[in-house]
Amino acid sequence: MTLASERVEVPADPRAQYERSLEEHWSDGVPQLPATDDAIEALIAAAPYPADHVVCVLPPVNGVATVELVAVNAALAGVEPAAFPFVLAALEALSEPEWNAFGLTTTTSSVFPMLIVNGPARDEVGIDYRASCMGGAAGRGSMTIGRAVALCLRNIGGQRAGETTKSVFGQPARFGFCIGEWEERSPWPSLAQRRGFGVDDNVVTVHGGKGTFPMADIHNDDARDLLYLIAKSMAYPLANMFLGNVGNGEVVVAFNPMWAERFGAAFPDVDDLTGYLQENAWQPIDLWPAANAEMLRQRGRVDSHDRVHLVERSDQIVPIVCGGLGSLHAIGLPSFGESTMQSKRVVRKS
Amino acid sequence: MTTTTNSIWVRRPTAVPAGELSAPTFRLERPLAGLTIGLRTDRAWRSWQLIAGVWDEYLQRDGAQTISVETGAQIGQPASSDRKQIDELAEQVDAAIVGLGTCGSCTTFTIKDSVAVEEHEKPVVAIVCEEFTVHAHNVARHVGHGDLSVLVLPYPLEARPTEELQQIARDYYPKVLELLGVTA
Repeated sequence: MTLASERVEVPADPRAQYERSLEEHWSDGVPQLPATDDAIEALIAAAPYPADHVVCVLPPVNGVATVELVAVNAALAGVEPAAFPFVLAALEALSEPEWNAFGLTTTTSSVFPMLIVNGPARDEVGIDYRASCMGGAAGRGSMTIGRAVALCLRNIGGQRAGETTKSVFGQPARFGFCIGEWEERSPWPSLAQRRGFGVDDNVVTVHGGKGTFPMADIHNDDARDLLYLIAKSMAYPLANMFLGNVGNGEVVVAFNPMWAERFGAAFPDVDDLTGYLQENAWQPIDLWPAANAEMLRQRGRVDSHDRVHLVERSDQIVPIVCGGLGSLHAIGLPSFGESTMQSKRVVRKS
Repeated sequence: MTTTTNSIWVRRPTAVPAGELSAPTFRLERPLAGLTIGLRTDRAWRSWQLIAGVWDEYLQRDGAQTISVETGAQIGQPASSDRKQIDELAEQVDAAIVGLGTCGSCTTFTIKDSVAVEEHEKPVVAIVCEEFTVHAHNVARHVGHGDLSVLVLPYPLEARPTEELQQIARDYYPKVLELLGVTA
C-alpha cells in the first residue's frame, strides 16, 4: 500500500512525541499514539473504500478528508481496525448538508457532533451504553471513535478554538462523544430502526448536541407525571430551540433502562411517548421578560393558550435508552436547533 | 520505513486548507443615484436591523432604490427560502450590503450570502463585528473569496442604546459606500 500523506520524523520517546504534537497543533491536549504506516495501513485495510476515497470535505477550512487522512487521525486516537468504519460513517453523517457542519463548527455555541451507535457490533468494538456511558465507562470504541472524529474536525477541518471555531465555552464532548443505545433494554424500536435501518445494521447517528443536561427524580412513580416533568425540564427558557426556527432540530432524551421500562408500560408505542413529550414541552409566555416575549410573539411562537412549545413536531423529541440501572436519572442532549440528525449505516468489509 | 533509535516516521494528520485562490471582486465605480442596493438583515440581531434601517434611509436619501431581505435559517425549508431570496436579491440589485456577522455561525452565513452576491458579479460588502473579523476572513478565504470586502463594526452591538447604534450607523455609512466603490 502506498500512502500519500506527508511523512514526518518525530522523536521515538513518547514524551517528546507528545511535546511535538502540541507544537504542531495536531493534538487535543492529550497524548496520542504514533500514526505509523503500519497502524494507518491496518485501518485502511478495514475500510470499505480505497485510501484515496474522499469521505467528505470538512469545514471550517474545507479540508479534504480522504480515507487515508481519516485513518491517520484514527491512528492517533487509537482506533482499532474493526472500529474504523464507524469513524467513516460518522464523518459521512455529519457532512450531510442538513447537519449544517459549517454552521456548527464555527458557532459560538458549545454544540458538537454526538455519536449514537446502534447495532449488533456495539460490544465487539467497545461502545459504551451501560453505566457511565457518557463519560467514565472507558470503552475503547466509544473513546477512540469519538476522539477520532474530533481529531478529524481539528486536523482536517481546521477547528481551532477562538480562531476558526468561535465556541465560547466548548464542552467536554469536544474531546469526543460516542455512546450506544441499550437496545435490549428498550421497550421501543431502536433509534436506528425508527430511522429506517434494519435490526442487523450497525448505524451511527450524529446529533448536534449542546451538552448533557441532567434530570433526576426520586419522588414520583407515575410514568406520565415523570414524563411531564422531563418535558418541562427540556423546555428550559434559554434553550436554543426558543431562539430559532421551531421546526428545525431535535432534542435527544436518554432514559435509564428502569425508567424506560416504566415509560414503555405507559406508552408502548414510541410515537405516543414522543407525542406526549412534545405536547408538554412548553412554557407560558409570561415566563419570559418583555423583550424575549415580544420576539417570541413576532415569530408566531405563542399559541392560542399563551404557550410556547419547544418543538413543533413530536419527531423532534428523540428518546433513547442507555445508562446504568440507577432508576433516578435522565439526560437531555439539547439541540443547537439549526441542525438535523443524520444517520449512516456502517459499511464493514466482510 | 527508516527508523533510528531516536526517531520514528509518522504521517501528518492535517489537511491543506481549501480555497487559497481568490475569486474576483467588483466595485460600482459610479455615483449612487439611480442604483438599486440590496440590504440583507438577519432576524436574530435587533442592533443590525436598526443600523441597516438607518442605512436604508440614507441610501434612499442619496438617490438609490433599496431592496431588503431578512434571513433567519441555516437548514431546512426556511434556509432554502433564505438562500433563494439571496439569489433573487443578487439578480435584482447593483450591489448589496450583507450582515450581520456577530456570532460564529451567523458570520459564516453572512460570508456565504455575500459570496452568493459576488458570484453574480455584483459588488458586495459583508458587515461583521470586530470579534468575528478573523473568522469572517477565514471563511471567505476557505470558500475561495479571500478578497471579499468586509466592513468591521464595533463589538458588541447588542445592549447598546438606540442613540449609540444610530451614531454607529452614521459613522460607518461613508465607509460602506467606499467599499462598494460609490463615486461622488
